[in-house]
Amino acid sequence: MKKKWPLALGMLLAVGGLSACGDSNGNQAESGASGSQSADGEVVELSFWRHDYAPEAEALKKLIASFEESHKNIKINFQMIPNDQYETKIRTALAGGNPPDIMALDAPTLASYAAQKAIIPLDDYFAKDGSKDDLLKPVIEGLTYDGKMYAAPNNEGTIVMFYNKKMFEEKGIPLPSKNVDEAWTWDQVLDAAKKLSDPAKGVYGWNPTPWGFVGHEGAPYSEMAFLWQAGAEILSPDGKTAKGYLDSAESKRALTFWKGLFNTDKVSPKELPQDAFWNGKVAIHVDGPFAFQYQEQNFPNFKLGEDYDVAPLWKDKKMIGTTGSWGMAITSKSAHPDEAWEFVNWVTGVEGSKVWYQETKNLPARQSTFDAFDELKAYPMNIYAEQLSKYGHPRPVTPAYPAISEAIRQLFEDVGLGGADVDESLAKAVKKIEDGIATLGKE
Amino acid sequence: MPTPASSARTPSSAIAAAASSIPVASSTAGSADASASANAARSTKPSKRPSASYERQEAKAALLFILPAFALLAVFIFYPMLQALWISFRHYNLISSESAFAGFGNYGKLLGDDTFLASLRHSFYFTVVVLPVQTAISLGLALLIQHRFRGVGFFRTVYFLPVAVSFAIASTIFRLIYNKDYGLLNIVLKGLGMPVLDFLSNPDISMLGIIILCIWRAMGFVMVIFLAGLNNIPDYLYEAAHVDGAGPLQRFYYVTVPLLKRTLAFVVIITTMDALKIFIPIYITTSGGPAGSTSTVVHFIYETAFKQMNMGYAAAAAFLFFLLVLAISAVQLRLFRSDVEY
Repeated sequence: MKKKWPLALGMLLAVGGLSACGDSNGNQAESGASGSQSADGEVVELSFWRHDYAPEAEALKKLIASFEESHKNIKINFQMIPNDQYETKIRTALAGGNPPDIMALDAPTLASYAAQKAIIPLDDYFAKDGSKDDLLKPVIEGLTYDGKMYAAPNNEGTIVMFYNKKMFEEKGIPLPSKNVDEAWTWDQVLDAAKKLSDPAKGVYGWNPTPWGFVGHEGAPYSEMAFLWQAGAEILSPDGKTAKGYLDSAESKRALTFWKGLFNTDKVSPKELPQDAFWNGKVAIHVDGPFAFQYQEQNFPNFKLGEDYDVAPLWKDKKMIGTTGSWGMAITSKSAHPDEAWEFVNWVTGVEGSKVWYQETKNLPARQSTFDAFDELKAYPMNIYAEQLSKYGHPRPVTPAYPAISEAIRQLFEDVGLGGADVDESLAKAVKKIEDGIATLGKE
Repeated sequence: MPTPASSARTPSSAIAAAASSIPVASSTAGSADASASANAARSTKPSKRPSASYERQEAKAALLFILPAFALLAVFIFYPMLQALWISFRHYNLISSESAFAGFGNYGKLLGDDTFLASLRHSFYFTVVVLPVQTAISLGLALLIQHRFRGVGFFRTVYFLPVAVSFAIASTIFRLIYNKDYGLLNIVLKGLGMPVLDFLSNPDISMLGIIILCIWRAMGFVMVIFLAGLNNIPDYLYEAAHVDGAGPLQRFYYVTVPLLKRTLAFVVIITTMDALKIFIPIYITTSGGPAGSTSTVVHFIYETAFKQMNMGYAAAAAFLFFLLVLAISAVQLRLFRSDVEY
């Protein structure tokens, strides 16, 4: 027994040594842009990557099947990538020069890819058969960089207020209006949140971000709305600087309010427990249209209309809801952009969008889809639809967006979690964005 | 009685030690016999020099043996490193095919970058705490389970178990345990009437949460290394000390500690390097938060390269950090030079 230990140690060292190399890049890109020929009669293979999300994967599988049925000469190699690895994987593939033909992208990342010429403009295709007039205006705005449109939207997105109806009734708080023109102000929500908070039961009044303080885009998505609602801007209209815009008096007001939520009023959770709203641990919440499906699958007994209801997002000086969602782009390395467009247009076109809506219940990006489904004109989806068309605001379309997203995320975390000084944190965020913009000029 | 060291010279463990590519690794296990045979070789010098052709042949064979390992290192380590060095002198966007020369621009900017300097501070804070605490706990555990008693195998397994858990899984579980309102840890603390430890949302103590997780996970591994070192110390030395009237504490200080110096050197150097490079638990548990308080250097490099897509800047940070770690390791190796042989 005793003499086996050194041997075991040796083996451990070997394993340790091997795993040390294994960590960094376990799975390199397997399939790059396909290289098959498109000569007559031959089958063109197109690779398509998207992040993994179950309802959307189902929709895509259906659409791919129908596409291959009617386009016998094109085959789609669809690859789903775990959500949190998607951006890294697609960027590694782009860096390595073997990206897929078609890639899914989140609207605000579009400009970085477009500026580096990693994806191609789709204007000619849209002019040919893309039914661009049918797309909603904020959608087009969010996917246009330098005057050209670089992606076709699968759907649009925005977030609205969710509230626990029973808790409101228990405390005798009047329910918020379902009319998007009569959204509650920050102060109204805060007032209710103070009454709803119950530290003894671990109940928080108001959770202002869908996923809490997370390390991904989900946080800045909802946080930017606070800035815009207060009347602040992130960038100058020409997109060249954040100085004088992000550090305005309006921003300071928004961040001071934010700081209070977590530190003095203590109505908001610094750590958001899993499914807090559905478990009755948060009274006022914010979420996207995909939340209904999630609730039906995971909390079937927590019912819309009985236990909870939705209302338009809150407002301050202005009523604004952040918009923007995922779309499909064609990489410049693709050997078959025409065939790739055929597929993109099949999925995101007038008919494809309807299938997509039926399967995912995501907010449509096309007017024709809104017209085709009556449920979109009825509660609760009408709140999303009306808020989107009246008060939608896309995130800034600039190649510096990664720096902006990170700076805003850090800013709200510093102030909310760290209780940091608002002025100092804003100065830090402005510097970070300025650095990001300056770096772009050099590449 | 065959000493443990003799079995350590079997081919498999020799290769294993080579694979870990750390020179001190072999010394922990094979030191006793290796140094003994080296002494023997010195004292019995062959009277006649072997022929030159034989030596050349030997050298050729040696080169052949080295070649495969070297080729792998060259392709997968040296070439990427040179590439990274080149990138670090350029304004290089991750997904762009074009890049411009930056000179020492990236390096200069790093030295004035508060975020980078803060990440350096976090890495060093982490290391300075983990190194002594983890080493002491592991050595303590190794001493405890070195003795034979009923159920020792059970304890050896239990202490070693966290090593077998994937870091990603351990991090995810600790995130649940640490939750301020519903985590196991805080429910227990509340039950005992103690203040809540909000490791995930309080920037002042967040790094301690990561430290506890890392020590919990790594101590079993270090314990096994210490155990191997302890088992290498011949029993007769303890017996002699005992006969000379040394108590348990004296035996520890005058026999165990000096003879464990090589093992200790290995542990300290490996722990330092691992601790400075800490990334996975941070990426999974806190993403560098709350409020950037757990963003270590490697996390900074990852963020810069893959989120900001600023590869040139990230490569410069990686190189600067590489030089720093190299310097620290060199100093440590020097400090741990041991004169004690047995």
